[in-house]
Amino acid sequence: MIHRLAAVAVLVSLPIVADAHRLDEYLQATRLSIGVARVDVEIDLTPGVSVARDVFDVIDADRDGRINAAERDAYAREVSHAIALSVDDLQLAMRDVAIQIPEREAMSEGVGTIRLRASATLPRVRSGRHRLAFVNTHRPESSVYLVNALVPTDPRIHIATQQRDPAQHRLTLDYEVDPSWPRAWSLVAALLMGAALAVTRRAKV
Amino acid sequence: MFRTAWISLALALPIAIASRLPASAPTANIVAAANAFLTTLGDAERAKGTFAFGSSQKTNWSNLPSGIYQRNGLRMGDLTARQRDAALALVAAALSRSGYKKITDIMNGDEVLKNAGGGRTGGRQGASAGRGGRGGVQFGRDEYYIALVGAPSATAPWMLMFGGHHLAINITVVGPNNVMTPSLPAAQPAKYVLNGETIRPLGRENDKAFALINALDAAQRSQAILTYEVKDLVLPPGADGKVIQPEGIPASALNANQQAMLLDVASEWVGILNDEASAAKMAEIKANLSRTYFAWSGSTKNGELAYFRIQGPTVVIEYAPQQGDLDHIHTIYRDPTNDYGAKLVKP
Repeated sequence: MIHRLAAVAVLVSLPIVADAHRLDEYLQATRLSIGVARVDVEIDLTPGVSVARDVFDVIDADRDGRINAAERDAYAREVSHAIALSVDDLQLAMRDVAIQIPEREAMSEGVGTIRLRASATLPRVRSGRHRLAFVNTHRPESSVYLVNALVPTDPRIHIATQQRDPAQHRLTLDYEVDPSWPRAWSLVAALLMGAALAVTRRAKV
Repeated sequence: MFRTAWISLALALPIAIASRLPASAPTANIVAAANAFLTTLGDAERAKGTFAFGSSQKTNWSNLPSGIYQRNGLRMGDLTARQRDAALALVAAALSRSGYKKITDIMNGDEVLKNAGGGRTGGRQGASAGRGGRGGVQFGRDEYYIALVGAPSATAPWMLMFGGHHLAINITVVGPNNVMTPSLPAAQPAKYVLNGETIRPLGRENDKAFALINALDAAQRSQAILTYEVKDLVLPPGADGKVIQPEGIPASALNANQQAMLLDVASEWVGILNDEASAAKMAEIKANLSRTYFAWSGSTKNGELAYFRIQGPTVVIEYAPQQGDLDHIHTIYRDPTNDYGAKLVKP
Protein backbone atom coordinates (compact mmCIF):
# COMPACT_ATOMS: atom_id res chain seq x y z
CA MET A 1 0.00 0.00 0.00
CA ILE A 2 1.13 3.45 -0.76
CA HIS A 3 0.25 6.02 1.83
CA ARG A 4 2.51 8.83 0.85
CA LEU A 5 1.36 12.25 1.79
CA ALA A 6 2.43 14.45 -1.07
CA ALA A 7 1.39 17.77 0.37
CA VAL A 8 -0.39 19.00 3.41
CA ALA A 9 -2.01 22.39 3.53
CA VAL A 10 -4.30 24.20 5.85
CA LEU A 11 -7.51 24.89 4.02
CA VAL A 12 -8.84 28.07 5.51
CA SER A 13 -11.63 28.63 3.05
CA LEU A 14 -13.68 25.63 4.08
CA PRO A 15 -16.65 26.71 6.21
CA ILE A 16 -17.04 25.07 9.60
CA VAL A 17 -20.56 23.74 9.48
CA ALA A 18 -21.66 21.73 12.42
CA ASP A 19 -23.94 19.00 11.21
CA ALA A 20 -24.43 16.57 14.02
CA HIS A 21 -24.39 16.32 17.75
CA ARG A 22 -23.13 12.94 18.70
CA LEU A 23 -22.09 11.38 21.96
CA ASP A 24 -19.75 8.40 21.98
CA GLU A 25 -19.15 7.87 18.26
CA TYR A 26 -16.60 9.30 15.87
CA LEU A 27 -18.50 9.84 12.61
CA GLN A 28 -16.30 9.58 9.54
CA ALA A 29 -18.20 10.47 6.38
CA THR A 30 -16.39 10.07 3.07
CA ARG A 31 -17.47 11.18 -0.38
CA LEU A 32 -15.53 10.11 -3.45
CA SER A 33 -15.65 11.95 -6.74
CA ILE A 34 -14.33 9.93 -9.68
CA GLY A 35 -12.93 11.61 -12.76
CA VAL A 36 -11.13 10.25 -15.80
CA ALA A 37 -7.74 11.29 -14.49
CA ARG A 38 -8.24 11.71 -10.74
CA VAL A 39 -10.25 10.78 -7.69
CA ASP A 40 -11.19 13.49 -5.19
CA VAL A 41 -11.66 12.45 -1.57
CA GLU A 42 -13.64 14.40 1.05
CA ILE A 43 -13.69 13.11 4.62
CA ASP A 44 -15.70 14.85 7.34
CA LEU A 45 -14.76 13.59 10.81
CA THR A 46 -17.07 14.52 13.70
CA PRO A 47 -16.11 13.21 17.14
CA GLY A 48 -18.97 12.93 19.61
CA VAL A 49 -18.86 14.54 23.04
CA SER A 50 -17.42 11.52 24.81
CA VAL A 51 -14.61 10.99 22.34
CA ALA A 52 -13.94 14.60 21.30
CA ARG A 53 -11.39 15.21 24.05
CA ASP A 54 -9.47 12.05 23.18
CA VAL A 55 -9.40 12.99 19.53
CA PHE A 56 -8.38 16.55 20.29
CA ASP A 57 -5.63 15.42 22.67
CA VAL A 58 -4.26 13.07 20.04
CA ILE A 59 -4.01 15.99 17.64
CA ASP A 60 -2.83 18.52 20.22
CA ALA A 61 0.52 16.85 20.83
CA ASP A 62 1.97 19.68 22.94
CA ARG A 63 -1.22 19.88 25.03
CA ASP A 64 -1.46 23.66 24.80
CA GLY A 65 -5.14 23.57 23.89
CA ARG A 66 -4.54 24.82 20.38
CA ILE A 67 -3.76 23.10 17.13
CA ASN A 68 -0.70 24.42 15.36
CA ALA A 69 0.36 23.80 11.77
CA ALA A 70 2.65 20.90 12.63
CA GLU A 71 -0.10 19.20 14.62
CA ARG A 72 -2.56 19.71 11.78
CA ASP A 73 -0.13 18.20 9.31
CA ALA A 74 0.56 15.27 11.59
CA TYR A 75 -3.13 14.48 11.95
CA ALA A 76 -3.68 14.81 8.20
CA ARG A 77 -0.90 12.25 7.77
CA GLU A 78 -2.41 9.96 10.39
CA VAL A 79 -5.82 9.97 8.72
CA SER A 80 -4.31 9.65 5.26
CA HIS A 81 -2.22 6.68 6.35
CA ALA A 82 -5.39 4.93 7.46
CA ILE A 83 -6.93 5.35 4.03
CA ALA A 84 -6.19 2.88 1.24
CA LEU A 85 -7.33 3.90 -2.20
CA SER A 86 -6.71 1.88 -5.32
CA VAL A 87 -7.92 1.66 -8.88
CA ASP A 88 -7.53 -1.67 -10.68
CA ASP A 89 -5.38 -2.89 -7.78
CA LEU A 90 -2.94 -0.01 -8.24
CA GLN A 91 -2.51 1.78 -4.91
CA LEU A 92 -2.88 5.54 -5.23
CA ALA A 93 -1.14 8.19 -3.17
CA MET A 94 -3.31 10.84 -1.58
CA ARG A 95 -2.06 14.21 -2.79
CA ASP A 96 -2.90 17.84 -2.15
CA VAL A 97 -4.14 16.95 1.30
CA ALA A 98 -5.83 19.85 3.08
CA ILE A 99 -7.29 19.70 6.55
CA GLN A 100 -9.32 22.04 8.71
CA ILE A 101 -9.61 21.34 12.43
CA PRO A 102 -12.03 23.28 14.63
CA GLU A 103 -11.04 24.78 17.95
CA ARG A 104 -11.19 22.68 21.07
CA GLU A 105 -14.32 24.34 22.42
CA ALA A 106 -16.14 23.88 19.13
CA MET A 107 -15.48 20.15 19.42
CA SER A 108 -16.50 19.98 23.05
CA GLU A 109 -20.20 19.45 22.34
CA GLY A 110 -19.66 16.89 19.63
CA VAL A 111 -20.33 19.30 16.78
CA GLY A 112 -16.90 20.28 15.54
CA THR A 113 -16.16 18.68 12.22
CA ILE A 114 -12.64 18.05 10.97
CA ARG A 115 -12.59 18.35 7.19
CA LEU A 116 -9.97 16.60 5.13
CA ARG A 117 -9.78 17.02 1.38
CA ALA A 118 -7.37 15.22 -0.92
CA SER A 119 -7.04 13.87 -4.41
CA ALA A 120 -5.32 11.00 -6.14
CA THR A 121 -4.07 11.05 -9.68
CA LEU A 122 -4.91 8.11 -11.92
CA PRO A 123 -1.91 6.91 -13.88
CA ARG A 124 -3.38 7.01 -17.38
CA VAL A 125 -6.73 7.41 -18.98
CA ARG A 126 -8.19 4.18 -20.28
CA SER A 127 -11.62 3.37 -21.55
CA GLY A 128 -13.53 0.37 -20.26
CA ARG A 129 -14.36 -1.01 -16.85
CA HIS A 130 -12.38 -0.13 -13.75
CA ARG A 131 -12.54 -1.07 -10.09
CA LEU A 132 -11.98 1.45 -7.32
CA ALA A 133 -11.39 0.23 -3.78
CA PHE A 134 -11.50 2.47 -0.71
CA VAL A 135 -10.76 1.39 2.85
CA ASN A 136 -10.82 3.57 5.97
CA THR A 137 -9.34 2.10 9.15
CA HIS A 138 -8.86 5.32 11.11
CA ARG A 139 -9.79 4.89 14.81
CA PRO A 140 -12.01 1.86 14.30
CA GLU A 141 -12.62 1.36 18.02
CA SER A 142 -15.10 4.23 18.36
CA SER A 143 -16.02 5.18 14.81
CA VAL A 144 -19.03 4.90 12.57
CA TYR A 145 -18.44 5.28 8.87
CA LEU A 146 -20.25 6.50 5.80
CA VAL A 147 -18.75 6.24 2.35
CA ASN A 148 -20.47 7.29 -0.85
CA ALA A 149 -19.56 7.98 -4.42
CA LEU A 150 -20.80 11.19 -5.94
CA VAL A 151 -22.45 11.03 -9.34
CA PRO A 152 -19.55 11.68 -11.72
CA THR A 153 -19.65 15.15 -13.19
CA ASP A 154 -17.88 13.83 -16.28
CA PRO A 155 -20.56 12.32 -18.53
CA ARG A 156 -18.07 9.78 -19.89
CA ILE A 157 -17.93 8.01 -16.53
CA HIS A 158 -20.71 5.72 -15.32
CA ILE A 159 -20.77 3.96 -11.96
CA ALA A 160 -21.88 0.37 -12.43
CA THR A 161 -21.92 -1.33 -9.02
CA GLN A 162 -21.05 -0.55 -5.42
CA GLN A 163 -20.24 -3.01 -2.62
CA ARG A 164 -19.61 -2.13 1.02
CA ASP A 165 -18.91 -4.07 4.17
CA PRO A 166 -21.68 -3.76 6.80
CA ALA A 167 -19.85 -1.02 8.74
CA GLN A 168 -18.87 0.97 5.63
CA HIS A 169 -15.15 0.72 6.29
CA ARG A 170 -14.77 -0.46 2.75
CA LEU A 171 -16.26 0.48 -0.62
CA THR A 172 -15.57 -1.41 -3.82
CA LEU A 173 -16.93 0.31 -6.86
CA ASP A 174 -16.95 -0.66 -10.53
CA TYR A 175 -17.19 2.09 -13.11
CA GLU A 176 -17.02 2.44 -16.85
CA VAL A 177 -15.16 5.04 -18.87
CA ASP A 178 -16.90 5.65 -22.16
CA PRO A 179 -14.90 3.77 -24.82
CA SER A 180 -15.64 6.42 -27.42
CA TRP A 181 -13.75 8.99 -25.41
CA PRO A 182 -10.13 8.08 -26.23
CA ARG A 183 -11.02 7.25 -29.84
CA ALA A 184 -12.72 10.60 -30.26
CA TRP A 185 -9.75 12.42 -28.82
CA SER A 186 -7.34 10.36 -30.93
CA LEU A 187 -9.30 11.37 -34.02
CA VAL A 188 -9.22 15.03 -32.99
CA ALA A 189 -5.50 14.79 -32.29
CA ALA A 190 -4.85 13.13 -35.67
CA LEU A 191 -6.84 15.80 -37.47
CA LEU A 192 -4.95 18.55 -35.65
CA MET A 193 -1.60 16.97 -36.49
CA GLY A 194 -2.65 16.57 -40.10
CA ALA A 195 -3.69 20.20 -40.28
CA ALA A 196 -0.40 21.29 -38.72
CA LEU A 197 1.60 19.22 -41.20
CA ALA A 198 -0.36 20.66 -44.13
CA VAL A 199 0.27 24.21 -42.91
CA THR A 200 3.98 23.47 -42.44
CA ARG A 201 4.37 22.00 -45.96
CA ARG A 202 2.50 24.92 -47.51
CA ALA A 203 4.78 27.34 -45.68
CA LYS A 204 7.89 25.53 -47.05
CA VAL A 205 6.50 25.66 -50.60
CA MET B 1 -44.12 24.11 33.16
CA PHE B 2 -45.40 23.47 29.70
CA ARG B 3 -47.48 26.41 28.47
CA THR B 4 -50.32 24.50 26.91
CA ALA B 5 -52.69 27.41 26.33
CA TRP B 6 -50.01 29.58 24.78
CA ILE B 7 -48.95 26.83 22.45
CA SER B 8 -52.51 26.15 21.35
CA LEU B 9 -52.96 29.85 20.62
CA ALA B 10 -49.64 30.03 18.80
CA LEU B 11 -50.75 27.21 16.55
CA ALA B 12 -54.25 28.49 15.87
CA LEU B 13 -53.67 32.21 15.38
CA PRO B 14 -51.30 32.14 12.39
CA ILE B 15 -53.53 29.66 10.56
CA ALA B 16 -56.53 31.87 11.18
CA ILE B 17 -54.68 34.91 9.83
CA ALA B 18 -53.29 33.09 6.83
CA SER B 19 -56.62 31.53 5.96
CA ARG B 20 -58.11 34.98 5.41
CA LEU B 21 -55.72 35.53 2.51
CA PRO B 22 -56.57 34.40 -1.04
CA ALA B 23 -55.90 30.67 -1.21
CA SER B 24 -55.02 30.59 -4.90
CA ALA B 25 -52.05 32.90 -4.77
CA PRO B 26 -49.42 31.55 -2.41
CA THR B 27 -46.74 34.04 -3.37
CA ALA B 28 -49.10 36.96 -2.83
CA ASN B 29 -50.06 35.47 0.54
CA ILE B 30 -46.46 35.06 1.60
CA VAL B 31 -45.44 38.54 0.43
CA ALA B 32 -48.40 40.11 2.23
CA ALA B 33 -47.59 38.21 5.42
CA ALA B 34 -43.90 39.13 5.14
CA ASN B 35 -44.71 42.81 4.74
CA ALA B 36 -47.14 42.61 7.65
CA PHE B 37 -44.38 41.08 9.76
CA LEU B 38 -41.91 43.77 8.72
CA THR B 39 -44.31 46.52 9.78
CA THR B 40 -44.16 45.18 13.34
CA LEU B 41 -40.39 45.63 13.49
CA GLY B 42 -38.34 48.64 14.48
CA ASP B 43 -35.30 49.73 12.51
CA ALA B 44 -32.84 47.77 14.63
CA GLU B 45 -34.96 44.64 14.42
CA ARG B 46 -35.26 44.98 10.64
CA ALA B 47 -31.53 45.34 10.37
CA LYS B 48 -31.06 42.19 12.43
CA GLY B 49 -33.66 40.10 10.64
CA THR B 50 -33.13 41.00 7.00
CA PHE B 51 -30.23 40.20 4.69
CA ALA B 52 -29.21 40.90 1.11
CA PHE B 53 -30.33 38.18 -1.27
CA GLY B 54 -26.80 37.58 -2.45
CA SER B 55 -25.44 37.22 1.08
CA SER B 56 -24.13 34.02 2.62
CA GLN B 57 -27.05 33.96 5.04
CA LYS B 58 -29.03 31.49 2.94
CA THR B 59 -26.67 28.65 3.84
CA ASN B 60 -26.56 29.55 7.52
CA TRP B 61 -28.81 26.82 8.89
CA SER B 62 -28.37 23.70 10.97
CA ASN B 63 -30.13 21.05 13.00
CA LEU B 64 -28.17 22.09 16.08
CA PRO B 65 -29.58 23.94 19.09
CA SER B 66 -28.77 27.48 20.14
CA GLY B 67 -25.58 27.71 22.12
CA ILE B 68 -23.87 25.29 19.78
CA TYR B 69 -24.86 26.88 16.52
CA GLN B 70 -25.34 30.63 16.12
CA ARG B 71 -28.16 31.53 13.73
CA ASN B 72 -28.66 34.97 12.33
CA GLY B 73 -32.04 36.66 12.30
CA LEU B 74 -34.65 37.41 14.93
CA ARG B 75 -35.03 35.04 17.86
CA MET B 76 -38.63 34.22 18.73
CA GLY B 77 -37.92 34.73 22.41
CA ASP B 78 -36.79 38.29 21.75
CA LEU B 79 -39.96 39.32 19.91
CA THR B 80 -43.08 40.87 21.36
CA ALA B 81 -46.29 38.83 21.24
CA ARG B 82 -47.47 40.86 18.23
CA GLN B 83 -44.20 40.40 16.40
CA ARG B 84 -44.12 36.72 17.21
CA ASP B 85 -47.67 36.23 15.95
CA ALA B 86 -46.80 38.06 12.73
CA ALA B 87 -43.66 35.95 12.30
CA LEU B 88 -45.59 32.72 12.76
CA ALA B 89 -48.35 34.00 10.46
CA LEU B 90 -45.69 34.48 7.79
CA VAL B 91 -44.45 30.93 8.27
CA ALA B 92 -48.03 29.65 8.17
CA ALA B 93 -48.71 31.58 4.96
CA ALA B 94 -45.81 29.82 3.26
CA LEU B 95 -46.73 26.34 4.44
CA SER B 96 -49.69 24.00 4.16
CA ARG B 97 -51.91 23.53 7.17
CA SER B 98 -50.38 20.10 7.83
CA GLY B 99 -46.90 21.48 7.22
CA TYR B 100 -47.39 24.25 9.75
CA LYS B 101 -48.69 21.72 12.27
CA LYS B 102 -45.62 19.57 11.65
CA ILE B 103 -43.18 22.36 12.36
CA THR B 104 -45.22 23.39 15.40
CA ASP B 105 -45.05 19.80 16.63
CA ILE B 106 -41.27 19.87 16.16
CA MET B 107 -40.97 23.12 18.12
CA ASN B 108 -43.29 21.88 20.87
CA GLY B 109 -41.15 18.75 21.04
CA ASP B 110 -38.13 20.95 21.67
CA GLU B 111 -40.03 22.59 24.53
CA VAL B 112 -40.60 19.09 25.93
CA LEU B 113 -36.88 18.41 25.53
CA LYS B 114 -36.10 21.64 27.36
CA ASN B 115 -38.36 20.70 30.25
CA ALA B 116 -36.80 17.25 30.38
CA GLY B 117 -33.33 18.78 30.62
CA GLY B 118 -32.17 17.37 27.30
CA GLY B 119 -32.28 13.98 25.68
CA ARG B 120 -30.47 10.64 25.88
CA THR B 121 -28.65 11.59 22.74
CA GLY B 122 -27.96 15.03 21.40
CA GLY B 123 -27.03 17.19 24.33
CA ARG B 124 -27.98 18.50 27.71
CA GLN B 125 -29.91 21.67 28.45
CA GLY B 126 -27.52 24.39 29.54
CA ALA B 127 -24.42 22.33 28.83
CA SER B 128 -21.47 24.53 28.05
CA ALA B 129 -20.61 25.11 24.45
CA GLY B 130 -17.93 27.07 22.78
CA ARG B 131 -19.92 28.97 20.24
CA GLY B 132 -23.18 30.79 20.11
CA GLY B 133 -23.06 32.42 23.49
CA ARG B 134 -26.30 32.63 25.50
CA GLY B 135 -24.91 30.48 28.29
CA GLY B 136 -24.66 27.06 26.70
CA VAL B 137 -27.04 24.75 24.88
CA GLN B 138 -30.60 26.08 24.81
CA PHE B 139 -33.77 24.28 23.82
CA GLY B 140 -37.40 25.39 23.57
CA ARG B 141 -39.79 27.42 21.46
CA ASP B 142 -37.99 30.70 22.16
CA GLU B 143 -34.89 29.40 20.38
CA TYR B 144 -36.23 29.53 16.82
CA TYR B 145 -35.14 32.26 14.44
CA ILE B 146 -36.72 33.98 11.48
CA ALA B 147 -34.82 35.77 8.72
CA LEU B 148 -35.73 37.34 5.39
CA VAL B 149 -33.08 37.16 2.68
CA GLY B 150 -33.91 39.76 0.07
CA ALA B 151 -36.96 42.00 0.06
CA PRO B 152 -40.38 40.32 -0.06
CA SER B 153 -41.54 40.52 -3.65
CA ALA B 154 -44.03 38.89 -6.00
CA THR B 155 -41.51 39.12 -8.82
CA ALA B 156 -37.90 39.39 -7.59
CA PRO B 157 -36.37 36.41 -5.76
CA TRP B 158 -36.19 36.40 -1.98
CA MET B 159 -36.10 33.86 0.79
CA LEU B 160 -37.78 33.07 4.10
CA MET B 161 -35.71 31.17 6.65
CA PHE B 162 -37.20 29.77 9.83
CA GLY B 163 -35.37 27.37 12.05
CA GLY B 164 -33.83 26.26 15.29
CA HIS B 165 -33.01 22.95 16.92
CA HIS B 166 -34.10 20.12 14.61
CA LEU B 167 -35.75 22.46 12.16
CA ALA B 168 -34.63 24.39 9.11
CA ILE B 169 -37.30 25.61 6.72
CA ASN B 170 -35.76 27.49 3.79
CA ILE B 171 -38.25 28.82 1.27
CA THR B 172 -37.08 30.62 -1.84
CA VAL B 173 -39.79 32.64 -3.54
CA VAL B 174 -39.26 33.44 -7.22
CA GLY B 175 -42.35 34.97 -8.75
CA PRO B 176 -45.12 32.36 -8.61
CA ASN B 177 -42.64 29.62 -7.66
CA ASN B 178 -42.02 28.59 -4.06
CA VAL B 179 -39.10 26.23 -3.41
CA MET B 180 -38.55 24.56 -0.02
CA THR B 181 -35.24 22.85 -0.58
CA PRO B 182 -32.98 22.36 1.25
CA SER B 183 -34.97 21.91 4.46
CA LEU B 184 -34.52 19.83 7.55
CA PRO B 185 -37.45 18.66 9.64
CA ALA B 186 -36.24 16.52 12.55
CA ALA B 187 -37.55 15.51 15.94
CA GLN B 188 -36.45 14.86 19.50
CA PRO B 189 -38.45 13.54 21.19
CA ALA B 190 -40.03 11.70 18.31
CA LYS B 191 -43.07 10.98 20.49
CA TYR B 192 -44.59 12.99 23.32
CA VAL B 193 -47.95 13.79 24.88
CA LEU B 194 -49.49 17.25 24.72
CA ASN B 195 -52.99 18.09 25.95
CA GLY B 196 -53.65 14.39 26.28
CA GLU B 197 -52.76 13.80 22.64
CA THR B 198 -49.81 11.70 21.59
CA ILE B 199 -47.73 13.71 19.11
CA ARG B 200 -45.28 12.13 16.67
CA PRO B 201 -43.95 14.99 14.52
CA LEU B 202 -42.46 12.58 11.99
CA GLY B 203 -44.75 9.66 12.70
CA ARG B 204 -46.44 9.54 9.31
CA GLU B 205 -43.08 9.61 7.55
CA ASN B 206 -41.95 6.65 9.61
CA ASP B 207 -45.15 4.64 9.30
CA LYS B 208 -45.62 5.18 5.57
CA ALA B 209 -42.04 4.16 4.85
CA PHE B 210 -42.33 0.99 6.93
CA ALA B 211 -45.61 0.21 5.14
CA LEU B 212 -43.83 0.59 1.81
CA ILE B 213 -40.85 -1.63 2.64
CA ASN B 214 -43.27 -4.27 3.89
CA ALA B 215 -45.33 -4.00 0.70
CA LEU B 216 -42.35 -5.16 -1.36
CA ASP B 217 -41.90 -8.80 -2.25
CA ALA B 218 -38.72 -10.65 -1.40
CA ALA B 219 -36.99 -9.89 -4.69
CA GLN B 220 -37.87 -6.22 -4.46
CA ARG B 221 -36.67 -6.06 -0.87
CA SER B 222 -33.36 -7.56 -1.83
CA GLN B 223 -32.93 -4.64 -4.21
CA ALA B 224 -34.18 -1.98 -1.80
CA ILE B 225 -32.38 -3.06 1.35
CA LEU B 226 -28.76 -2.02 1.48
CA THR B 227 -26.27 -4.56 2.76
CA TYR B 228 -24.65 -2.06 5.10
CA GLU B 229 -25.59 0.17 8.01
CA VAL B 230 -26.34 3.87 7.47
CA LYS B 231 -26.08 5.58 10.82
CA ASP B 232 -26.54 9.20 9.81
CA LEU B 233 -27.60 11.51 7.01
CA VAL B 234 -25.37 11.14 3.99
CA LEU B 235 -26.10 14.70 2.83
CA PRO B 236 -26.38 16.64 6.10
CA PRO B 237 -26.36 20.42 6.52
CA GLY B 238 -23.27 21.74 4.79
CA ALA B 239 -23.41 19.16 1.98
CA ASP B 240 -25.13 21.48 -0.48
CA GLY B 241 -24.54 20.66 -4.12
CA LYS B 242 -23.48 17.06 -3.55
CA VAL B 243 -25.26 14.32 -5.52
CA ILE B 244 -24.52 10.76 -4.49
CA GLN B 245 -24.84 7.76 -6.74
CA PRO B 246 -28.40 6.42 -6.28
CA GLU B 247 -28.86 3.02 -4.66
CA GLY B 248 -31.76 0.79 -3.75
CA ILE B 249 -34.71 -0.20 -5.90
CA PRO B 250 -35.78 2.00 -8.80
CA ALA B 251 -39.44 2.95 -8.79
CA SER B 252 -39.66 1.43 -12.25
CA ALA B 253 -39.38 -1.95 -10.49
CA LEU B 254 -42.39 -1.18 -8.27
CA ASN B 255 -46.01 -1.85 -9.14
CA ALA B 256 -48.52 0.98 -9.36
CA ASN B 257 -49.65 0.62 -5.76
CA GLN B 258 -46.08 0.59 -4.47
CA GLN B 259 -45.25 3.62 -6.61
CA ALA B 260 -48.21 5.45 -5.09
CA MET B 261 -46.95 4.50 -1.63
CA LEU B 262 -43.50 5.85 -2.50
CA LEU B 263 -44.99 9.14 -3.64
CA ASP B 264 -47.04 9.24 -0.47
CA VAL B 265 -43.89 8.93 1.63
CA ALA B 266 -42.26 11.77 -0.32
CA SER B 267 -45.37 13.91 0.09
CA GLU B 268 -44.72 14.09 3.83
CA TRP B 269 -41.73 16.34 3.09
CA VAL B 270 -42.95 18.01 -0.09
CA GLY B 271 -46.36 18.73 1.45
CA ILE B 272 -44.92 20.89 4.22
CA LEU B 273 -44.95 23.70 1.67
CA ASN B 274 -48.23 25.35 0.68
CA ASP B 275 -50.65 23.23 -1.31
CA GLU B 276 -50.14 24.88 -4.70
CA ALA B 277 -46.35 24.73 -4.66
CA SER B 278 -46.25 21.22 -3.21
CA ALA B 279 -48.68 19.96 -5.87
CA ALA B 280 -46.34 21.28 -8.56
CA LYS B 281 -43.36 19.64 -6.86
CA MET B 282 -45.16 16.32 -6.50
CA ALA B 283 -46.05 16.41 -10.21
CA GLU B 284 -42.36 16.92 -11.00
CA ILE B 285 -41.31 14.00 -8.79
CA LYS B 286 -44.00 11.82 -10.35
CA ALA B 287 -42.77 12.72 -13.84
CA ASN B 288 -39.30 11.48 -12.86
CA LEU B 289 -40.55 8.44 -10.96
CA SER B 290 -38.90 5.85 -13.19
CA ARG B 291 -35.53 7.35 -12.29
CA THR B 292 -36.31 7.57 -8.57
CA TYR B 293 -34.83 5.10 -6.07
CA PHE B 294 -35.91 3.86 -2.66
CA ALA B 295 -33.14 2.59 -0.39
CA TRP B 296 -33.50 1.06 3.08
CA SER B 297 -31.07 0.06 5.81
CA GLY B 298 -32.05 -1.59 9.08
CA SER B 299 -35.01 -3.45 10.46
CA THR B 300 -38.24 -3.74 8.49
CA LYS B 301 -40.28 -3.99 11.66
CA ASN B 302 -41.98 -0.71 12.54
CA GLY B 303 -40.80 0.44 15.92
CA GLU B 304 -37.22 -0.63 15.28
CA LEU B 305 -34.29 1.29 13.82
CA ALA B 306 -34.15 1.93 10.11
CA TYR B 307 -32.69 4.49 7.73
CA PHE B 308 -34.30 5.19 4.37
CA ARG B 309 -33.68 7.41 1.39
CA ILE B 310 -35.71 8.50 -1.62
CA GLN B 311 -33.56 9.83 -4.44
CA GLY B 312 -34.66 11.01 -7.85
CA PRO B 313 -33.44 13.56 -10.37
CA THR B 314 -35.08 16.44 -8.48
CA VAL B 315 -35.45 15.10 -4.96
CA VAL B 316 -33.39 13.61 -2.15
CA ILE B 317 -35.07 12.70 1.13
CA GLU B 318 -33.23 11.00 3.98
CA TYR B 319 -34.56 9.72 7.31
CA ALA B 320 -31.94 8.74 9.90
CA PRO B 321 -32.41 7.82 13.56
CA GLN B 322 -29.46 9.11 15.57
CA GLN B 323 -27.06 6.82 17.43
CA GLY B 324 -29.56 4.03 17.88
CA ASP B 325 -32.12 6.35 19.47
CA LEU B 326 -35.65 5.95 18.08
CA ASP B 327 -36.60 9.13 19.92
CA HIS B 328 -34.12 11.25 17.99
CA ILE B 329 -34.69 11.47 14.23
CA HIS B 330 -32.91 13.59 11.64
CA THR B 331 -34.25 14.01 8.11
CA ILE B 332 -33.33 16.17 5.17
CA TYR B 333 -35.11 17.22 2.00
CA ARG B 334 -33.10 18.42 -1.00
CA ASP B 335 -33.44 19.04 -4.71
CA PRO B 336 -30.02 18.69 -6.32
CA THR B 337 -31.17 20.76 -9.28
CA ASN B 338 -33.02 23.49 -7.43
CA ASP B 339 -31.77 24.00 -3.87
CA TYR B 340 -32.29 27.66 -2.92
CA GLY B 341 -34.21 28.06 -6.20
CA ALA B 342 -30.98 27.69 -8.21
CA LYS B 343 -32.88 26.83 -11.39
CA LEU B 344 -35.06 29.90 -11.11
CA VAL B 345 -32.68 32.55 -9.84
CA LYS B 346 -30.60 34.19 -12.53
CA PRO B 347 -27.02 34.72 -11.40
